[in-house]
Amino acid sequence: MTEDLLRIDGLHVGFRTGDRTRHVVRGVDLRIRPGEVLGLVGESGSGKSITALAVMRLLPPGAAITSGRVTFRGRNLIEASNHEINLLRGGEIGMIFQDPLTALNPALPIGRQLGDAIRAHQTISWRTAKSRAEELLALVGIPFPAERLRAYPHELSGGMRQRVMIALAVSSNPSLLIADEPTTALDVTVQAQVMELIDRVRREFGIAVLFISHNLELVAEIADRVTVMYAGRVVESAGVEALFETPNHPYTRQLIRCVPRLDGGRGAMPTIPGLPPRVELLPPGCPFAPRCEIAEARCTMEEPPMRWRGEQMAACFLAAS
Amino acid sequence: MAGLLLRRAGFSVLSLLLVSACLFMLTRAIPDSPAWIVLGQDATEKQVMQFEHDHGLDRPVAVQYASWLSGVVLRGDLGRSFITGRDVTGEISKTLPVTLELVVVAFAFACVLSLAAGTAAALARDTIVDYGVRLVAVLGVSVPGFWLALILIMAFAVDREWFPPGGFVPLSGGLAEHIDSIVLPTFCLGIFYMAVLSRMTRSSLLDVLGQDYMRTARATGLAHWRVLIYALRNALVPVVTIAGMSFGYMFGWALIIEAVFNINGLSRALLTAIQQRDFALVQGVVMIFTFVFILANLAADITNAWLNPRMLAASA
Amino acid sequence: MIRGVIAACGGPGGFVGACLMVLLIGDALGAPWIAPFDPLNVDMLNALSPPDATHLFGTDQSGRDVLSRVIWGGRASLEVSVVAVVIGSCGGVALGLIAGFFSGGWFEQFLMRTLDAMASIPLLIWAVALVGILGVGPVHIAGFTFGNEVKLLALLGLLYIPTLARITYTTALGEAGANYVAARRLQGVSVPRIMLSDVLPNCLSPVIVQATLLLAIGIVIEASVSFVGLGVQPPQPSWGNMLADARNYLFSGEWWLSVFPGACISLSVVAINLLGDGLRDALDPRHSTSALTA
Repeated sequence: MTEDLLRIDGLHVGFRTGDRTRHVVRGVDLRIRPGEVLGLVGESGSGKSITALAVMRLLPPGAAITSGRVTFRGRNLIEASNHEINLLRGGEIGMIFQDPLTALNPALPIGRQLGDAIRAHQTISWRTAKSRAEELLALVGIPFPAERLRAYPHELSGGMRQRVMIALAVSSNPSLLIADEPTTALDVTVQAQVMELIDRVRREFGIAVLFISHNLELVAEIADRVTVMYAGRVVESAGVEALFETPNHPYTRQLIRCVPRLDGGRGAMPTIPGLPPRVELLPPGCPFAPRCEIAEARCTMEEPPMRWRGEQMAACFLAAS
Repeated sequence: MAGLLLRRAGFSVLSLLLVSACLFMLTRAIPDSPAWIVLGQDATEKQVMQFEHDHGLDRPVAVQYASWLSGVVLRGDLGRSFITGRDVTGEISKTLPVTLELVVVAFAFACVLSLAAGTAAALARDTIVDYGVRLVAVLGVSVPGFWLALILIMAFAVDREWFPPGGFVPLSGGLAEHIDSIVLPTFCLGIFYMAVLSRMTRSSLLDVLGQDYMRTARATGLAHWRVLIYALRNALVPVVTIAGMSFGYMFGWALIIEAVFNINGLSRALLTAIQQRDFALVQGVVMIFTFVFILANLAADITNAWLNPRMLAASA
Repeated sequence: MIRGVIAACGGPGGFVGACLMVLLIGDALGAPWIAPFDPLNVDMLNALSPPDATHLFGTDQSGRDVLSRVIWGGRASLEVSVVAVVIGSCGGVALGLIAGFFSGGWFEQFLMRTLDAMASIPLLIWAVALVGILGVGPVHIAGFTFGNEVKLLALLGLLYIPTLARITYTTALGEAGANYVAARRLQGVSVPRIMLSDVLPNCLSPVIVQATLLLAIGIVIEASVSFVGLGVQPPQPSWGNMLADARNYLFSGEWWLSVFPGACISLSVVAINLLGDGLRDALDPRHSTSALTA
């Protein structure tokens, strides 16, 4: 078995307010192999974005990793020095964020931002960096790349901006791309284009992808394996076909049911009743129990452990066997 | 860029016209004619009328204004004082360089220090450095410059004689003496705006550091100093605007500082002119102040357009 | 209950500022009763004596009690700044509301351009020049005689109008296009009523914050203008003209002449700034970067 590229074990991330810490990530395990696409799915507040930020040590102020291990190519990222992490960022690990308008510096032309990113990882001349930036823009499908180098972010459309972000993220040939809700802020038609771009780029360069989304359909398109998160924990993990054919966790099952289907009957659209729990007010037992269709008494008393079945795992006492 | 500049320049000219017209009307509206001051209270009606005729004061106000304006625009001639008979432009050019130097040095001091302090405070948020900077800023904003001047004179010029208590020594009098004579005045002049600008820099930088694009900058692995430059390019925009205004305001406060330190600057000329009811000189000096203020603001806008071209799109 | 007051002032800083302001206002209103001596009472035998038990702040060059003069001086400073801010607010808010509501008309353009032009001269220069041109001397209106500082206060009030009008205008402009205004209009409510009852309250918080800033500036400007002899005229005390007198005694060591009036100016400005910062926090949780924010 090939060695894992990225491995997260028992990650806990908490926000410190005053003298209390509230954990938004409560023991997450994750593995990505080289060249593999892992989809990370969950509702808002499930902790998926924070998990990704924790990998790059880009947590917002007040948040910190309280325990766990993050290993990249065997190196422990949590204990790495600031210098080492900075080398990884934008180097071996690239990241694209949700809102390309706010994620790009409004004061600088995109050619400059690309050039600076490239030169942060290679000592090359400005001229060389500029032509590389132009190549990158062409790679991500931006027309007239030479002129576009001088454009400012606000002069580009949403889809083009996200392409620039992708160019930025792959500018130094990373082996892992973290995509945090890359299409959420875009129109549906543009979404498809960006998804296609991500897929093409990762195939061409053999980049592993951690694809984070709350949209199950998008994940189904691109992922090899899927991990589902709820209330800061992993509740299910499986290969993409297995997940959709035989989902083991009730949450996953209900999620899949919520996706509208063209061949589904007309009628009321199914939803998952209730709201996702607030991290400070987690009830004892399984966090999904209040909204679960098949919850039993046991579910409200202790948190279910991970149960394995071949390559699939689910955190549920009642996982289908 | 050119379009923006033209519009601003045009608008500035309009402001200058408006201000000069307003002042002109006001000085002509005062019932006491300068004739009385020059000729004395016992002058006869005939003498007064003769005086006014000689100086063109009996023409309609609009005509007087037009004539003054054409003098300014065509010859750079701000008119002639009715009281002293001396040329206003000449009077101003004697004293302007002194005030200009004071303000420029104070401004440079304020900008450099506030940039350093504000940045340090933002980067070291909620540490003793931050609290220290904020405390100094609150004090700097609240303590009036001229009172600070009095206290400093007592402490350093009288008790200790480290600096002269007043007077301005030009460069020709020796570099060391020159610097000695401007240290206290420029410090007192600049401290207020140093405080204002450092608070502004701090809050603007804190704002920017929390933005998404700063996270992207770090995510692309940029070196820390470059990340800071990225932040400053965005954060400095409101600071530069305020700095531009501050330069103009400093010209005003220089008036008081010059009065305390007995410095023969432009402001001294203004006060003397007021005492002597020499309105031509008052008009000239105020116009210069306005001109400097407008120029400083224009320079700030140009700097901002270079720093952050998106502003151009926003204000066009 | 104390907690509620502290919260209303926007935190401990604002609370301290508010307390100091109360002291200041109390001083201004109660000067005739608080001051131990008559501020104008000349007593050459006791001239230039340092602070002691009878004269807590010492006496000045004419033997007048400095403490009493400081108390009365506070009254003059506050008088000028408060009235100026009131004039500026009334004028500014009215003009700003009208311009914001009837935007796109000639009035808006004309007003904004004029106000911008007015704002292109530093406040202090305007004040000095205009008071200088008008001349120094008492003001007679309707049979009443006022001190010279009335000119200053009127001028400052006028000069405050551009800033306050612009703030009101910006807010009103934003509000005038808002949905709730359109809804009210559909209900048949007249425009002036909408302006007053719906839009005005929303404009007030930035105006209040700016007004406190202008209050602080007003105190310093009054002191500065009096310092150069164009404000409150001697023998009436003002912190500014007391400092002007004190200047003559820098070398002879009568430190109490400079320290106390200046300290009062500083304290007042600190108080107003603290209160203003606190109010800004209390009224507008979304921080906008104004010139004096921390």
